[in-house]
Amino acid sequence: MARGFDHLFKLLIIGDSGVGKSSLLIRFSDDTFSGSYITTIGVDFKIRTVDIEGMRVKLQIWDTAGQERFRTITSTYYRGTHGVIVVYDVTNGDSFANVRRWLEEIQNNCDVVKKVLVGNKNDDPDRKVVITEDAQRFAKQMDIELFETSAKDNINVENMFLSITRQVLDHKLRTSPNEQQKDTLHLKPNPKGSKGGKCCR
Amino acid sequence: MDTLSEAVANGTATAATRTTKDIVKERFKEDETIEYIFEAYQIKGHEYSNRLLALVTSQSGGTFAIIAFSYLRTPLTAANELIVNKVFAIDHNFQLRQDSKTSITTQQFDLSTAEDGPIKYYYYATESDHYEEFVAKVISFKSTMAQHDPETVLNFRWLNDYRQIGEVKQELKKRESEYIVYKDIIIYCATWNVNNKTCCDSNNPLRAWLACSEKPPDIYAIGLQELDTPTKAMLNSTQMQALEKQWIDNMMESVHPDVEYEILMSHRLVATMLTVIVRKQLRQHIIRCRPKSVARGIFNTLGNKGGVAISLQLNEGNICFVNSHLAAHMGNVEERNQDYNAIVEGIRFDDGRTISDHDHIFWLGDLNYRIQEPPGQQRPGPLSDAQTYELLLQYDQLRQEMRRGKCFEGYTEGEIKFRPTYKYDPGTDTYDSSEKQRAPAYCDRVLWKGTRIEQLVYNSIMEIRQSDHKPVYAVFQVKVKTRDEIKYKRVQEEVLKAVDKRENDNQPQINVEKTVIDFGTVRFNEPSTRDFNVYNNCPLPVDFSFKEKDIHAICEPWLHVDPRQDSLLIDSARSIRLKMNANVRTIAGLLRKIRASDNFDILILHVENGRDIFITVTGDYQPSCFGLSMETMCRTDRPLSEYSQDQIKQLMNDESPEYRVTMPREFFLLIDYLYRQGSKQVGAFPSYDSRLSLGAQFNSVRDWLDTWSDDPFPANAETAAQALLLLLDLPEQALLEPVVENLLECTNKSQAMDYISLLSPPKRNVFMHLCMFLRAGIESQFYDLHQVASTFGRILLRSTERAAWMDYHSRCNQFMRLFIDTDVEAMGNGNEGAGTGTGSGSGNRAGLQA
Repeated sequence: MARGFDHLFKLLIIGDSGVGKSSLLIRFSDDTFSGSYITTIGVDFKIRTVDIEGMRVKLQIWDTAGQERFRTITSTYYRGTHGVIVVYDVTNGDSFANVRRWLEEIQNNCDVVKKVLVGNKNDDPDRKVVITEDAQRFAKQMDIELFETSAKDNINVENMFLSITRQVLDHKLRTSPNEQQKDTLHLKPNPKGSKGGKCCR
Repeated sequence: MDTLSEAVANGTATAATRTTKDIVKERFKEDETIEYIFEAYQIKGHEYSNRLLALVTSQSGGTFAIIAFSYLRTPLTAANELIVNKVFAIDHNFQLRQDSKTSITTQQFDLSTAEDGPIKYYYYATESDHYEEFVAKVISFKSTMAQHDPETVLNFRWLNDYRQIGEVKQELKKRESEYIVYKDIIIYCATWNVNNKTCCDSNNPLRAWLACSEKPPDIYAIGLQELDTPTKAMLNSTQMQALEKQWIDNMMESVHPDVEYEILMSHRLVATMLTVIVRKQLRQHIIRCRPKSVARGIFNTLGNKGGVAISLQLNEGNICFVNSHLAAHMGNVEERNQDYNAIVEGIRFDDGRTISDHDHIFWLGDLNYRIQEPPGQQRPGPLSDAQTYELLLQYDQLRQEMRRGKCFEGYTEGEIKFRPTYKYDPGTDTYDSSEKQRAPAYCDRVLWKGTRIEQLVYNSIMEIRQSDHKPVYAVFQVKVKTRDEIKYKRVQEEVLKAVDKRENDNQPQINVEKTVIDFGTVRFNEPSTRDFNVYNNCPLPVDFSFKEKDIHAICEPWLHVDPRQDSLLIDSARSIRLKMNANVRTIAGLLRKIRASDNFDILILHVENGRDIFITVTGDYQPSCFGLSMETMCRTDRPLSEYSQDQIKQLMNDESPEYRVTMPREFFLLIDYLYRQGSKQVGAFPSYDSRLSLGAQFNSVRDWLDTWSDDPFPANAETAAQALLLLLDLPEQALLEPVVENLLECTNKSQAMDYISLLSPPKRNVFMHLCMFLRAGIESQFYDLHQVASTFGRILLRSTERAAWMDYHSRCNQFMRLFIDTDVEAMGNGNEGAGTGTGSGSGNRAGLQA
């Protein structure tokens, strides 16, 4: 069967419990937001296909449990991931402080992986405690792109997901030159497998 | 399932309920008919997957095919639940084979085509009658196809809509009207029989013929006939190519000067050549371009007559150009019709497309139809006004034949307002003055067929005089189907979202009654169970399993899960049983786990193709002396039964050298009891191997120890001895760690004592007190020195690495004898060490007895 896409990437969303990982995913995949909070107990995924410069990219996005006790078990899900979205809550300083730990987690479990840093719940200036400049400075130091988003108000969510997807796609195209035929007239999906660009052990 | 297939077979559909056939029909186009639907299934691994095999015929293609669908749910409720799984064109290579040799069931068959297969399908025994009908139909269709000449390319292009394209493409095609716009393009068709003349010499010689349109054309289709005599052509192909190139170069120089052009394709059949030239800018919008020709003429094979065609796709529009040179001479009308039909029948482009499978068709060439005037009126008069042309055209064979439906059905030709293009004395505008005196005729024509075509100009060029024919050209304005990229992007986005949403919504889901399984109080050597339910409330059957974790097991050893995996039908539930067993084999690991975390385990409940759910297993472990290290026990200040899991966790993680007692009370109580039993101890110490099988009274001894009970010992000496062995053996670390390796190397007691003195005080005291006790028992001959040395040696010096040594057992034995053999004792000089142990022991005893 034809696959209906040119590339398939696996993205992972990590970060402290309650920062809005699932909300970001649901905003991106279903364009909805639910105010009620349901803790993710396990690992959930959704798919969404996006068109990036004429290439159809299917994303399989994994949403992980953020609770401390699941940390060891979720680290096994880093395998085979192309991109990781590290989320903190701009209204919660601890969640930002923990970003460093999450980045270490990536370091320990993946080889080459693309990352973005996401400050979610950026919709109420009164409650914001992680100021943009600090986050920006940290992101620069870590060489990651920063996005301040709001899953609730649908701010910057699409942008952020598309950015990490572009990073992953660019990396893949750069590292596997034989897949680079960018023929705009080529309507059929590329018959070659979507393997390659694998990042983890 | 039966009712479903019956409904299908009989085609019975009430107004209210739609049959499977009704639903499947929605997946096909209007001119495609479902001849039969057969329910089959495939086996992949352990799974059965249902398949609907639809036997379908297409009117436009005139061919048959089987399309295999998989479907998401039973019963089928909507067409979008059908997913095309496989497509089998019923052509010469198609085969349906029943092969029962290799399998357990006879209800199976294979389908294969040249590209695919054989692919195995099974059917239910209850479907046998339907199977017979299905096979009968397939065979009859296949034999219909076999009547065609095997060389004929059958038209299966209609199948492309089902093959190779996913849901997204199908969906996009359905919504085509939302993003298709029509763009005007100018097509310039030109035809000239050059009468074997070479190219003209002057500059831009053909410009008069090819640059007549006001606006620069987007596409040129230029047809030449009688390019060179057939004999010459066959002699020298390089010469021919040079000639061809010269003509094409000439054309390129003569096209409209305002824009840049490039050659898209040129194709030649002997002396008939068709060249398609396009605007440079347009090139990138041409997705596909294919040539084909059909030879006619002498023996209908030599190709001195015939047709050349080029098929191309511009944006979303399919355009076909045909240049033909049909049979000559006044009387050969029938031959010309035959040539036309042979070209129509014969042209099949490589993708299976025929001439009529295009949106816009332009047919040009020397069609050779003549003007057959009634006798006496043959010579045209002044030939200069429309009236005269009209008069002449009454006798035009082509128009007559078209009216009679003999050729060019569906084609249109514009009004002719030019003189007959044949036959002139070369170099002049004078009609044939030779002896033959051929009647002038409109041999050279341009016709079209299709939608959204408007002819702007149709004319001939008198000033070009080399040939006995005058060149003809026609300019068209065509509205070509084009994708509005912005609208397309929007529709595509919507379609992708809808398809993704369907996939997300159809993701297998199960619900778990609870994600925390609490065992309540968990006691050593008392297994307990907890049950919880998993439900399937999604519209698909779901497979679930507990996922293996990095410990290479689905759970920790003190847990047992049943079932480990199962399938859940729609709206069904399954009870999962968890067993918790903190026993002699698992206690060390469990205590280690308790030290490090606040749960007993986390299980991963994996839903096939879906999410994973983490199930946390917790409970309150009721601390007991068994499994605890001597150090931890020496930190307690009350019976272990009064400790909680958290408190014991704290004690286990306490690494300070402060102890509340010199040796564990529980150990001392057991030794004390045994010592007082005197001769009742005879035979009480079991062999090393039987230490793990616990007697019925064990748990009462456990409680007696863990509560510091004042009651009499609740069991006999044998149970006490067993409890003593476990107390020493169950902690994660052997009693004599971390000096086991050193002790195994020791040959005399003083050397060994140096290492013993390195042990933590609780361990050292326990060891010395134990040795004293054993020595006393051996002296009183309550037990055999050899057996006791062997049993205790392997417990106190437990080492997984050294256990593989050949002499491990004898070394253990030897070491113990240094301390418990009264003969060795007499020779040795380790009294101080023993003295300390005894001292602490007595002190403790005093404390206990107080």
